[in-house]
Amino acid sequence: MERVLPAPVRRQAGSPNVRLSLSNRPENVALVRQMLAGVAEAIGLDAIALNDISTAATEACNNVVLHAYEGAEGPLQIDVSVGSEALEVVVRDHGSGIRPQFRRSDEVSGIGLSVIQALARRAEFGGTTDDHGTEVRMTFATPPLAMLDSFPEDGLEPPAIVDAELAGAMEMSIAPASLARTILPRLLSVFAARAHFTTDRLADVQLVADALAAHVPGSITGGHLSLGASVEPHDLELRIAPLRAGCANQLIADSALDGLAPVIERLTHEQQVKAVGGSSEAEMLALRLTDRR
Amino acid sequence: MPTTASPLAAPLRTSEDPHDLFVRWQEQGDPAARDSLVAQFMPLARSLARRYGRSSEPFEDLLQVASMGLLKAVDRFDPERGHPFPAFAVPTILGEMRRYFRDSGWAVHVPRGTQERALKVRDAQDLLANQTGRAPTVNQLAQYLELDSEDVLDALQAIQAYEALSLDAPPRGASAEEEVMSYGDAVGHDDQHYELVELGATVSAALEHLPARERLVLSMRFVDDLTQTEIAERVGVSQMQVSRLLRRSLDRLRALTDAPSGMA
Repeated sequence: MERVLPAPVRRQAGSPNVRLSLSNRPENVALVRQMLAGVAEAIGLDAIALNDISTAATEACNNVVLHAYEGAEGPLQIDVSVGSEALEVVVRDHGSGIRPQFRRSDEVSGIGLSVIQALARRAEFGGTTDDHGTEVRMTFATPPLAMLDSFPEDGLEPPAIVDAELAGAMEMSIAPASLARTILPRLLSVFAARAHFTTDRLADVQLVADALAAHVPGSITGGHLSLGASVEPHDLELRIAPLRAGCANQLIADSALDGLAPVIERLTHEQQVKAVGGSSEAEMLALRLTDRR
Repeated sequence: MPTTASPLAAPLRTSEDPHDLFVRWQEQGDPAARDSLVAQFMPLARSLARRYGRSSEPFEDLLQVASMGLLKAVDRFDPERGHPFPAFAVPTILGEMRRYFRDSGWAVHVPRGTQERALKVRDAQDLLANQTGRAPTVNQLAQYLELDSEDVLDALQAIQAYEALSLDAPPRGASAEEEVMSYGDAVGHDDQHYELVELGATVSAALEHLPARERLVLSMRFVDDLTQTEIAERVGVSQMQVSRLLRRSLDRLRALTDAPSGMA
């Protein structure tokens, strides 16, 4: 009888459970940590395992912050894939190919490299397949975890038009969409803090995030959920797509709980529904939250 | 036999060649060489304590654990293998910190640092709100408490995540009795607020399943449109607790109302 081997770490190339795209600004590394904490909570990973993963990912991200674009700004992309007994994190930049990153002679980067190698079960450093970027691919052993509801069948590449619409401070694709429950409140809290919201309004933002996370999974078309957020002082915009036609308004209506005003409508300043890609088949819900009290 | 050279007899030279120092310590037992190595690589231990222990425990505690790891690494490192010492020391020091976390029940209990910080953030929030009449921003809290804003956010998150984290401890400046009293007063008005909810729209049985104080804060926020800080003042609890109550009660309402027919 054949021995059953654990499932391979990578289920399918190019289909992570979370893909987060940011600029390589130093403050964005906090978003990566919050996202990882959200994933950890969703799959029941303990605090020590999360700390390992988060520390190693921080080192890889800091490397992109400091070295990928020689002082200029550029993309920082993080993929997370959850396997049955392993979790993979890929940190990617689109810099200029071979650069002085992780050179052992560089004291700080040298420590970063050692930290990654010490904490990950496997770490690969290489070029991205599609362009001149660099990626750090880290695999972490985990105990057997509560598996995610379902895996996407359509990969995680957002439709091009959604990609364009979502251009902003953050773009994120999630599959299964139920991961939003633990990820979205954390990420939006960071944005609310950045927008100088009071803790009052920040707590409201969390309520909106909870309401969205509860109702969005049943409203999306396709296997993944795309989220965009952008921030200005006292102003936070959130974009959610691709929703099935009619679902955006339904989403708002459904946030009315038991006689209370719709949570989303009450706590946001503006709600807009836009067609995605000019078609009537998919739509995007854009919410604006402000704090001008 | 180890020589008995005192640290004073061998002045500390930070640029001393580690290889020589390892030979002097490991082969000749020269404790001054060991001291020099520890001093030379203490910045590495400090850096790792900061990176790995990010905000979870008091830094001094972590630094001590990292220093223990450094000592182990200094004792076990084999300089003849030709690898630089940091490549060997980093996993040793990280392993020491991870063991410390595991032994102290870090994975199952609320870490002490997290607990203390959460209560500090709560108190600062109430204090600053009292001073200015409006809730502070995360940056203001961070500045006031000399933390970075991510630490403040983590503290706010911890409040949501750990049921066990007691927010019922009386806030600074208020005795437990006072809190109970003011809370009792507020609950006295509960019926009145609940009426408002009933007038507002159709009320199904779901709301009735919630405890009185959850109904109260829900109606204050969504019917009276009070801010969470205003609610906290009236009910006599911290704003964090109002936030937690609201999130929990909305979750519960959703579970109750979504059960029969979901959107999907």
